Amino acid sequence: MLSPTELNLLSRLDLAYRRPVSGLYAGERRSPRAARSPEFADFRPYVAGDDFRQIDWRAYARLEKLMLRLYVAEEESSLNIVLDASASMEVGSPPKWPAARRLAAALAFLGLSSMDRVAVGVLGDRRRRTQHLRGKDGVARIWAFLDAVIPGGTAGPGMLTDLDWPRPGMTVVISDFLTAESWAGAAAGLRKRRQEPLLWQLLAPDEENPTLSGDWKLVEVESAQEREVTITPALVAEYLENLARHRAGIRKAAEGAGGRMIASLSSQELEEQMLTGMNSGVIRR
Amino acid sequence: MSLLAPVGLLALVALPVILLFYFLKVRRPEARVASLLFWRPFVADRQANAPWQRLRGSLLLALQLLAALALALALIRPGLSGAIGNGGTTVVLLDGSASMQATDVSPSRFAAAVARARTHAHQLGPGQQMAIVLLGQHAELLTPPTTDPSVLDGALDRARPTGSQVDLGEGISLANAVLSGRSGATIILIGDGHAKAPPSPPRVGARFLYEPVGGNGENVGIEAITRTQAGTVFIRVANYGRTERDLKVELLADARLTDVLPVHVAGNATTDISWTGLVAGTQVVQARLTPGDALAIDDFAYLVTGSPPTRRVLLVTDENGFLQRALKLRSGVDLTVQKKADYKPGAPYDLYVFDGWVPAGKLPDPAFVIAPLDGTGPVPLGAQIAPGLVLPGSPSDPILQDVRLRDVHVQTAGRVSVPPGWRTAIAAVDNPLLLVHEGEPRIALLTFDVHHSDLPLRAAFPILVQNLLAHLLPGGFENQVYPTGRTVILATEPSARSLEVQSPGGGVVRLAPPFPAAPFTATQVPGVYTVRQQLEGGVRVSQFVVRFEDQELSRIAVGSAPFVELTPGTASAPPRGTLEIWPWLAALALALLATEWFVFHRGP
Repeated sequence: MLSPTELNLLSRLDLAYRRPVSGLYAGERRSPRAARSPEFADFRPYVAGDDFRQIDWRAYARLEKLMLRLYVAEEESSLNIVLDASASMEVGSPPKWPAARRLAAALAFLGLSSMDRVAVGVLGDRRRRTQHLRGKDGVARIWAFLDAVIPGGTAGPGMLTDLDWPRPGMTVVISDFLTAESWAGAAAGLRKRRQEPLLWQLLAPDEENPTLSGDWKLVEVESAQEREVTITPALVAEYLENLARHRAGIRKAAEGAGGRMIASLSSQELEEQMLTGMNSGVIRR
Repeated sequence: MSLLAPVGLLALVALPVILLFYFLKVRRPEARVASLLFWRPFVADRQANAPWQRLRGSLLLALQLLAALALALALIRPGLSGAIGNGGTTVVLLDGSASMQATDVSPSRFAAAVARARTHAHQLGPGQQMAIVLLGQHAELLTPPTTDPSVLDGALDRARPTGSQVDLGEGISLANAVLSGRSGATIILIGDGHAKAPPSPPRVGARFLYEPVGGNGENVGIEAITRTQAGTVFIRVANYGRTERDLKVELLADARLTDVLPVHVAGNATTDISWTGLVAGTQVVQARLTPGDALAIDDFAYLVTGSPPTRRVLLVTDENGFLQRALKLRSGVDLTVQKKADYKPGAPYDLYVFDGWVPAGKLPDPAFVIAPLDGTGPVPLGAQIAPGLVLPGSPSDPILQDVRLRDVHVQTAGRVSVPPGWRTAIAAVDNPLLLVHEGEPRIALLTFDVHHSDLPLRAAFPILVQNLLAHLLPGGFENQVYPTGRTVILATEPSARSLEVQSPGGGVVRLAPPFPAAPFTATQVPGVYTVRQQLEGGVRVSQFVVRFEDQELSRIAVGSAPFVELTPGTASAPPRGTLEIWPWLAALALALLATEWFVFHRGP
C-alpha cells in the first residue's frame, strides 16, 4: 500500500488532536486529566486533601504560597477513519479512489504508530468496518481491509452517523463531498459522539479546475443523470464559484462542530498530502 | 428604395440553413463527472429525439439570423431614393495640383482623391451617370458621363497629378458644358483647395460639393536659389508648417554631391544660406533637402550656372530703346544695332529684327518684323486702324506665357488679314496684332509700332520679347530655367535633322522631324532636361532646367471650399439620387456577430 520511503516519512509525523482525549489505556495523547508525566502543564494552589508530594517547594520559596505542579497525562486516543467508497470516487483524472485509499492507510499508520486505537470504515455501509486496532500490528489488517474495498454505489452525509464510534477521539472523513445535502448535521452528530471531525476533501485536478469546453453531455456516475451543456469560460467561472461556495459550506460545517476541513488533490503525492495536513495543523512532526 | 444588386437575394438562403442547423440535434460527446452539482444547464436540457429536435428560442439563434439577414441585405445593395445622395449626373473634378503629390495622406493626396472618385463611381445607382474631369495643366475630360464603373475606373487609372498650379475655373467651365441640359446634377471637387480659382466666383449650374483631401500641412521646401556674379550661391529654405525643423541641404554640381550644409528653419519662417564652393565650369547646381517630407517636388531646386551660347542678333531700327533693352535682357545675346541705311543683306546673324522697315527682296530668317511700312513685310499691312481691345489669340500660346495683356492699349495698327500658315498670337477685335508663322521660316510680325501703344511700359513687353526670342532664336531654350508645367519652345539649329528630349526620369521624346519641333509640354517633373539635335555635321547636346517655384502650392495646408455662384434654381432643386446603405448594413452585421461572440463566450 505504501512504499518504504513513504513509511519512513510517516514515522516522523504524528496526528495533532485539537482537543485532549481521554482513553482507557496509557498512550501518547494529551489527556484532560492531569497526571504525573515529564510534561509540565500548569500550577494551582494547594487545597486540603491534595497529594503534598506534588507541592512545588521552589515556588513556595519564591511566592510563600503552596502551589501544586500539574502534568499532562498522556493516554491513548481513538482514531476513526471513514472512507467514501461511492462510485464518484473513481471519477477524475487521476481517479480519486487510489489517492483516498492511500491517504486512509497513511493516517491509520500515523494513529497506530502513536498507540491510538484506530478503526477504518466505509461511508454508507456500517458492516464494512474494522475493529478498533492498536499497535503497529494493526497496520497490516487495516491495509488488507482497504485493499478489499471496491468503490460503488452512493454515499451521503446522512450515512456518517450510522457508524457508531463508542470511544471519543477523532473521526477523519475522506470524501469528495460532492453531494447536494449539507454536511453540517453529520458533523454535529460526530461532535455529539465526542468525536473531533476532520473532513478531508479529495478532488481530482479536473474537478478543481475543469478543462472541458464546448458542447458536452455530462453524465453523473452515481445517479446516471445526464445534462447537456455548452461549456464556456463564463460557465466554468460559475462552476468555480459554486465549488468555492460548496467548500465553504463544508468548512463551516466542520468548524461548527469543533473540527477542521482540508482539501487536496488526487494528483498529489502522499508527501504533498501530508504537507497539506501539516499546513492545516492536522499533522505535526 | 431600390435594389442595386438583386442577385444578392440568393444570400437569404443562409437563413433557413442556420435554422436547419438548429433543428438538427447536436451530437455531443459524453463526459463522466462525479456530480452535476456545480454545472448549471447553460444550453436547455433537450430530450433525446435525434436527429431532429423541436426548435426553441435562443438568443444566439436570433443574433445569427439577424447577422445573416443584415449581410444578405447588404449584398443586394439597397438604396434610398429621394432628395439625398448625388444627382442623376455627377461630374467629379479631380484636383491635379502639384500639392496633390503630397504624401501626408497615404499613399498620396492624389491617390486618395482617386480612391474617393472610385467610391463614387461604384456607388452609382440605376440611371446615374458620372463624368471625370482632371484639373491638370488644362482641364481634361477623362471620360464623358457614363454609367459603367469599369469605364470610370479606366479613366481614373490614367489620371496623373501635375507639377504646377491648375485652373479651377477652366474645370468648372468644362463641367458646366458636360452638364448642360441635365437637371439635378452634381459637381464634386476632390482636392486640397489649391486649384486656382478665378478672380470672380464661377457660375455653377449644378449642386457643388467639395471633398477636401489632405493632412496637417507640414512642409519645408527650397523657395529660391540664385547666385551672384562672384559665384556665391544663395538658397532660401522656407518652412510652410508650424514645426521647426533641422535639415541638411545637399549641393550637387552637375549631379555630383559636392557639399552638405545644415539648416535650421523655424515654423512659418525662412532661412537663407550661402555657399561659396561653386567650381568654375559647373553647368547646373542642384540643391536637395534631406530628409524629405510630405511634398517632394519642392525639396529640389536647380540653378543653371553655365552660360547660354552666344547668339548674334541684328536690330535694324531708327531708334527703339525699349526694344534694345528688352533684347539685351537675354543672356548670351550679342546685339548689333544698325540704321536701315547701314543694312547689308547677307550678313550672318542668328536673328534679324526689323523695326519699322523691311529690306527689299527675300526676308532673311529667322526674323521679327515690327510695323513695316504699308504694303511691305512678310504679310503686307494695310491702312492704319484703331484696333481697340487687345486680346490673346490663344491663352495657351507659348509665346504669351506670363504675358498679361489686360492693361495694354494700342493706338494704331496696320490692317492685315491672316494668310494661311500663320497664326494670331495677339489680336484686336477684328485685326491681328501679332502674327507668327507656323513652321519654317520662323518669322513673327507685330502689326503696330510699339511707340503707338503702352505695351513697352508694361511688364508684359520684356516677357513677350523673351518668349519671341525663345521661339525665333535657334537654341533659345539652352541653359534656360522654366517653371514646372511651362511649355518649352525648342527652336532647332538651321541644320538640324532631328531633335529629341530626354527627361530627368530617363524617358526620351522625339519632337522633330517634322519641323519646326512641336512645343515640349511634358515639363511636370523638375530636373535637367537634355536636348539632342542631330546636325549635318554632328550632334549638339544642350540642356534646360525645369524648376518648381510655386510657393502657394508649397503651402500644402488644405484649403477651404472655393466660392462658386450657383445659377438660379440650382440650390432650390435638391438633387434626387440613391443613397446606398450597404455599408451600414455590413457594419450592423459585424456588430451582431461581435455580440453573438460575446454572448457565446461571456453570456448567460
